[in-house]
Amino acid sequence: MTAELSGSAPAVTPLVPLVPQRNRRRAWKQALIGWSFAFPFVALFIVFLAGPILVSFITSFTDLRSTDIRSPFGVNFVGFDNYVDVFTDPTFRKAAVNTAVFVLFGVPLTMVLGLLAAVALNQGVVKIRKVFRLGFFLPYVTSIVAIAVVWRLLLGTDAGLVNGLLDLVGIEGPGWLTDTTYSLPSLIVMAAWRNLGFSMIVFLAGLQAIPTDMYEAASVDGATSWQAFRRITVPLLRPTLLFVSVITSIGYLQFFEEPFVMTQGGPLDSTLSVSFHAFNQFSFGNYGYTAAVSYVLFLAIAIFAFAQFKLLRPKT
Amino acid sequence: MAHTECSSVAVPRRGSHRRRSIRAIALGASLALSVAACGRGDDDDGAADPDVSAGTDVSGGTDASGPEASGSEADGAVEGGISVWAMGTEGEQLGVLADDFMAEFPDISVDVTAVPWDAAHDRIVNAIAGGEVPDASLIGTTWMGEFAKLGGLEPTPDSFDPEQFFEGAWETSVVDGVSYAVPWYVETRLVYYRTDLAEEGGFNQAPADWDELKQLAQAQMEAGAKYGISLQPGGTGSWQTFMPFFWQAGGEILDDAGNFTLDSEACVEALSYYDSFFEDGLTPPAVSDVPVEAAFTNGDVGSFISGPWMRGVVTDAGADPETWTVAGQPKNQTATSFVGGANLAVFDQSDNKPAAWAFIEYLSRPDVQVKWFETVSDLPAVKSAWEDPVLADDEFVATFGAQLEDAKAQPSIPTWEAVASAVDGQIEQVTVGDASPEDGCAAMQQEVESIGTGL
Repeated sequence: MTAELSGSAPAVTPLVPLVPQRNRRRAWKQALIGWSFAFPFVALFIVFLAGPILVSFITSFTDLRSTDIRSPFGVNFVGFDNYVDVFTDPTFRKAAVNTAVFVLFGVPLTMVLGLLAAVALNQGVVKIRKVFRLGFFLPYVTSIVAIAVVWRLLLGTDAGLVNGLLDLVGIEGPGWLTDTTYSLPSLIVMAAWRNLGFSMIVFLAGLQAIPTDMYEAASVDGATSWQAFRRITVPLLRPTLLFVSVITSIGYLQFFEEPFVMTQGGPLDSTLSVSFHAFNQFSFGNYGYTAAVSYVLFLAIAIFAFAQFKLLRPKT
Repeated sequence: MAHTECSSVAVPRRGSHRRRSIRAIALGASLALSVAACGRGDDDDGAADPDVSAGTDVSGGTDASGPEASGSEADGAVEGGISVWAMGTEGEQLGVLADDFMAEFPDISVDVTAVPWDAAHDRIVNAIAGGEVPDASLIGTTWMGEFAKLGGLEPTPDSFDPEQFFEGAWETSVVDGVSYAVPWYVETRLVYYRTDLAEEGGFNQAPADWDELKQLAQAQMEAGAKYGISLQPGGTGSWQTFMPFFWQAGGEILDDAGNFTLDSEACVEALSYYDSFFEDGLTPPAVSDVPVEAAFTNGDVGSFISGPWMRGVVTDAGADPETWTVAGQPKNQTATSFVGGANLAVFDQSDNKPAAWAFIEYLSRPDVQVKWFETVSDLPAVKSAWEDPVLADDEFVATFGAQLEDAKAQPSIPTWEAVASAVDGQIEQVTVGDASPEDGCAAMQQEVESIGTGL
């Protein structure tokens, strides 16, 4: 082995100036090997992700419709017309307001419920913690279709379980999904129930990372459990709060599945979301307009996430 | 029907938030690349089918060359294999007729592919865009305008006589003056009502006109029904219940010049009449979570308006056949109903159009239409098929046949789904919301004008 190596080395590098050149060649060769390994991913990424994103961006400035797809290059560029249409469309505005309400109420509700469940699991019910953890997390991994079946049975106006219970105490329950006053709140509660499992798991991990001696020190100093929660748990949980808040907001801004399976956006568009509006317009074949709606939503998500990073970033 | 089941794009799963956001960004893109991408699996299937059938059919052709030489009835030029798409039950059962057809035309082999209704619209769009089409397909009547405009369909040959078919059904195949398909089966809407409740409330005949339909509902409420009638308060497809009233009042969706005329007096009259059922508490104010057939069977709802499939549904729900019947649409100026159903079309990229049309011609024969009715209960689109005792002697079916003589369909325009959604939305604004019928019709007209016909 050693004899071979020492024998070959002088043969390859007889002159000093050749060394950097050889290194360059080797670097180039390594790069080639590297890229050839990365090529399948890069190719797929460009064809199926970067390409469509770019095309959709261009599409948002054209009047592409479903009837044009045999000659997609025959469409006209219409500048910002689609974006003007989006903002002047009363249905979009309604959808934007609904989505904003859903995010502004849904995200805090989900996070508070998730945090409560996490704190309770972390401190209270230690013995059957696993059962509760599974129970709270299960809705998050359950198919929305199955959830819809259950929640429709719960919230049905005439044969629903909730109204059945209200009926027992003599209250005539409202149309939880068919009354414009209750439809969006019903979906917010349903979404919070469905998603609190995710924030609970993340919060639980965050809570377990907080050293217990801090709480011990606090209790020695005579702090109440509320004070301990307020002064120790919340500040130390700040990075976790940021993470959960950003992830949940991004998910909620794309609010789609709940109205899709429960209300179809009704009644009177009271549960129509921006994503659902885009979905509808896409199915009507208005591809240019749909692309514009999607980019408006994308921009809103980006701004919202950025603002949260600014506001909730851990102070060091 | 909102057939945008490019579900992998449009209905993202809540798994990875990051992927969801990227999907949302790309939603609009979905067309140029993504539709191709999301439909790719489908396209592959679609692409495979014609190839496979082309393959089999070459061998089939050679196999059949013996009998062919001995002189079959088929036109010498018509031979080879075709692939046909059909949806739902029709897709599952069409093989029965295809076998009969192949027995009669041994030179042609038919390969039927069943496509789920939910995925059908996008699969056809993808097939046309990708140039990998079946030779023929079942086409939902509301899609005709879009596919014809897309340039995917072949005009109907002159060998088909429009007079053979119900007028309303034939009209659905005509886009901008040219027919691109042949009606295969039809359905229309009638009034289902509880005769026992009506009689108990003192109403002893079938409701003949608008006033009587209302009297029927009132009588049934007096007899103890919670609601006399169940009309859709809005939401997807409510135009199918509303438009008959609009037509009955003398309205037309498009005038001869192709302009929308929804802000007409007929619209206001029809929408006022429709809304009056809601104002008077004769119909549920919102769609109930109790299915209408269950409420109809237990007497909570006295009547509803729907298509022929509800016969089986109501029977399965346990309704005593002695207690209910169907009646034609009530008369105002006319007693027009809505006609739906499906057409059969040949794609312009098909490489065996003669064989595809021969198959469609076979499916349009009166005796084959009757057999199809016996197989899947689809009502024949060919008028002469209704003379067969199988249909003529069934009073229930015959009532539908009578209504089909006076039934209209939506105009075949590429933007129909969007127009229908606007109409549905304004119906809801009037029945559930506070809008007046006048405002509802004006808003309908304004919305559909901004959508345009797309022709």
